[in-house]
Amino acid sequence: MSAATNPQTKIMSAPLAAPRSVAVPRPSASVFARALDLLSSVRFGVVLLVLLAAACMVGMLIMQVNVEGFAKYYAELSPSQKLLYGSLGFFDIYHSWYFDAMLVVLSLNIVLSSIERFPGAWTYVSRKKLDASAHWIGGQEQHAALSVEGGDAQSVAVRVSAACESLNLKTRVTEKGGKTFVFAERGAWNRLGAYAVHVALLVIFAGGFLTAQFGHTGQMALEPDASAGEMSETFFQLDQPQTTTVALPFEVECTDIQQKLIDKSGPTSPTNTLDWLTSIRIKDPGHGETEAVVRMNKPFDYRGYRFFQASFVPEGKARQILLRVTPEDEGAQPQDVTIRRNGTATLADGTRIKFADFFADFVLEGTRADTQSPDYNNPAAELMISKASGETAKAYAFPASAAARGPVVGRAVAGYKIQLVDFEKVGAAHVLSVQKDPGAGVVYVGFVLLALTLAGVFFFAHQRVWALVEERGEGKFEVTIGGNTNRNRLAFEDRFRRLVKALAGEDEEAEVQQI
Amino acid sequence: MSQAIKHPATIAAPRIKFRADGLLSFLPVVLAVGGAVALALLRWRTGGEHFPSDGALMMLALACYLTAAIFHLTNLYAPSTLFQRIGLWTATGGVFFNLASWFVRWVATYERELAVITRQGGEMPWFFRYIPFANLYDLSLAFAFGAGLATLLIAHRQNFRFIGALSLPLASIILVLARFIGGEITNLPPVLDSYWRPIHVGTASLSYGVALVCFATAVVYLLKDGVKTEAMAVWSSLFALAVISTVSRFSVFAPATFGTYGASAFFGAGEGRGMSLPLRVELPYVGWLLVASGLLLVGGVALFGRYLARESETARAWGRRLLKLSLVAQGAAIAALVWQVKTLTSVVEHIDPRQYAKFGSYLMEQQGLAAQQVAALSQSQLERAAAEFVRAPGGELFLSLRSNPVELSALIAGFTATLFVVIFSFRTERLRAALPPKEKIDSLMYKTGGVTFAGLALLLMTGAIWANESWGRYWGWDSKETGAFVAFLTYGAFLHVRISRGWTGRAAAYFAIVAFLLIVFTYLGVSYLLPGLHSYA
Repeated sequence: MSAATNPQTKIMSAPLAAPRSVAVPRPSASVFARALDLLSSVRFGVVLLVLLAAACMVGMLIMQVNVEGFAKYYAELSPSQKLLYGSLGFFDIYHSWYFDAMLVVLSLNIVLSSIERFPGAWTYVSRKKLDASAHWIGGQEQHAALSVEGGDAQSVAVRVSAACESLNLKTRVTEKGGKTFVFAERGAWNRLGAYAVHVALLVIFAGGFLTAQFGHTGQMALEPDASAGEMSETFFQLDQPQTTTVALPFEVECTDIQQKLIDKSGPTSPTNTLDWLTSIRIKDPGHGETEAVVRMNKPFDYRGYRFFQASFVPEGKARQILLRVTPEDEGAQPQDVTIRRNGTATLADGTRIKFADFFADFVLEGTRADTQSPDYNNPAAELMISKASGETAKAYAFPASAAARGPVVGRAVAGYKIQLVDFEKVGAAHVLSVQKDPGAGVVYVGFVLLALTLAGVFFFAHQRVWALVEERGEGKFEVTIGGNTNRNRLAFEDRFRRLVKALAGEDEEAEVQQI
Repeated sequence: MSQAIKHPATIAAPRIKFRADGLLSFLPVVLAVGGAVALALLRWRTGGEHFPSDGALMMLALACYLTAAIFHLTNLYAPSTLFQRIGLWTATGGVFFNLASWFVRWVATYERELAVITRQGGEMPWFFRYIPFANLYDLSLAFAFGAGLATLLIAHRQNFRFIGALSLPLASIILVLARFIGGEITNLPPVLDSYWRPIHVGTASLSYGVALVCFATAVVYLLKDGVKTEAMAVWSSLFALAVISTVSRFSVFAPATFGTYGASAFFGAGEGRGMSLPLRVELPYVGWLLVASGLLLVGGVALFGRYLARESETARAWGRRLLKLSLVAQGAAIAALVWQVKTLTSVVEHIDPRQYAKFGSYLMEQQGLAAQQVAALSQSQLERAAAEFVRAPGGELFLSLRSNPVELSALIAGFTATLFVVIFSFRTERLRAALPPKEKIDSLMYKTGGVTFAGLALLLMTGAIWANESWGRYWGWDSKETGAFVAFLTYGAFLHVRISRGWTGRAAAYFAIVAFLLIVFTYLGVSYLLPGLHSYA
């Protein structure tokens, strides 16, 4: 855009010009003015968009430090690639200074070019063009000339105006210099829509800035009946991720974890999973206790913190077990009991059975029980049996199918044979992601604004019609009619054609689309 | 000064009524969508027996799209109301089968899990868990539907019906790609089980569909604007050359493997199962046919370049001949590829052992070895492991069209691009005259581009909200996110180019074309080439 046509330039350069050399502005002023000119030009904005897109493409094609597998990718690069990409900041391009700078300049460009163009758009609303010459009307993208008979100029204008109104246009009839004008329009506010879209974008940018500056996201692994008062946050230094812990102002206790499977006899892999549930109790000094369940895609909000179900530790455990307890005495009836993890069941004779631990792939290492793998190959429940007499013993319960496997299987302990009939599979721990993000709310506000303003911009248009009524002899009038629209030309064309046909008294029903 | 006049209310004035007959032109859309819904309900009530599968319906859709495309194209050269009608109604049939296939898939996915869950007395999850937006096959089906639907909606204006001549072949390529990807129904990754999925992916497929139409409009705009078909040929040839030189891991033109094309070995038994391995099986003839196509394209580019620079008519005539020959060679290469994949039996004999070291380390990683452990193994150990795997009895390797879906689709896209340029070079002036005025094409381009821009904004926003619900951050520069963002920026540039003086017209059309290519890159490239959270689709 040339400086002469740019009102912004005139305003800005005038006070800066030296008083005695008005004709020759100081070079600094001109550089400033030119920079401002550049910053507020749409072309420059397009260039910025292209540059930003190019930087994003680099970030897509070169693996970023926070992506899983970066260490392996980095190890396979040649030393020159490492040096080049590293010094250009390509491994973390979205956090490089020049990426931030591009976003800042783009924001500035949006603001400045909006300031420059807004007054022009505002005149569509504030100062409507109510009259126009026949020549000007004839130069519009849609135009026609009609001959009308009868009445006076005013009544013809009123007819035109009424026809426009039936197309939902707002009309004004004016008289000037002996000529009668009709001006009709709808959706003038649509001229301002584009600015509102840019405001929404800036709000989103602002939210993103808040998140980047003040946001925290960490992880928290929770085992049942354990508590955590901190989360671990990961930072990336090329192939060396570093973890720091961030203390939380409250303590999170895990009361239960549960994994809902599609096929309950199948593995606890993600592909066989419907949902993970983590029940938590937040103990917050001064705010009391709060209980909640965090599920996949169903986060829980608490005082600016959000808890997400992020992942799980897939070592096979059981949430609850179903045992068949058979006393060794002759003729005694077996009894089925269900025990929750770390829970206890009491038998009819007062004997208490505690479900102490679970091994998915049971193996004895010396006298110590352990699991060989995370999979449910040889499941066993470790039980603590306390007789009413005070005598205690440790026992392992196996499924009936494991009867012939090893010395501990099927052996009676404390007078009972105990069989593991069924169990509910679950992982050893669930990992919650904890987020404190003061920017997300702002971003959401920007989203709502953007959705509304985009709909306002693209599904509406500012349509204008002008008509000039001129007398051509006794009772004869010529109506020059024309109009334009800023968007959706095709629909406007249809409307304009129908308007002209209606005014000409033609049968507008005659034109029927053929399928 | 002007003064306002109050107009008396008594004067009779023409009233313009709401016209119901305008709605009649939307009949194809209503019939296609309504019919598909009715068919889906019927399938839901009556069960899967005696009912066409979703795969069969998809093939019907493909057949309809292709037929409709041919009628649309013919109509451009020899305008005929009959052909136009046949084209429109076959396209309607295509959209109907396309959507019906998607719906039937929804029901089939539900019934599949219903059997497992209810057997164990479990509670059935909500119905939207089974909406077919779970993988790239589903998305492709929806993408093609989006394109078909947009074409039908635009066909509401009679003089825009020509757009089907371009958009329907593109929709067909997407369905062919889907066919190659394979439509087996798999369990849904739990993170995808959210009500945001239908919203987010639905937005994606519809806006991608509109973007496809915008792309087709931009190409037509350039043609109408007088861009020489020779210049188009240069671009389409460069695209086809890029495809030919990158497929099969750059093997076609690489000195060490010159003239060879390898398809990835497929492993794993059963229909609808198995996986593609990073191990290439050389297909006889295909490599040389691709080399021939490539060289002919290079010759064509050089000759057309000479024509464009020096107006040499001889160069132009020879360029056209080479382009046509290359079209034949590309077609032959694709045919040979498909034929070999279907018939080659001695797969192991066609594997170049030079790949074994690299494949060996892949195998070790698959077996759970850490990167350092793999690095500690010697070259010969890795090669031995690979050789043993390849020759292991019971785990036979074979070839499948699902081995390299993107490569195959890219080759078909290159062929189609060449085909269209050849078609455009035939009686170009007549074709230009048959197209609507430039301003109207521009209006359509702006409209579809604007809708795509708004759609992509919605896509990014719903994606961000969903990500914030399930991953704990609304934006993480994940490859798919960034890809969609880049396409959004490019459509933004497209819209702004139109309001910056001196750049209107062609520049905007170029942006619309590049933006769509970026969408395709996001849609396919990210899933197959780049790591990230969206790798499932």
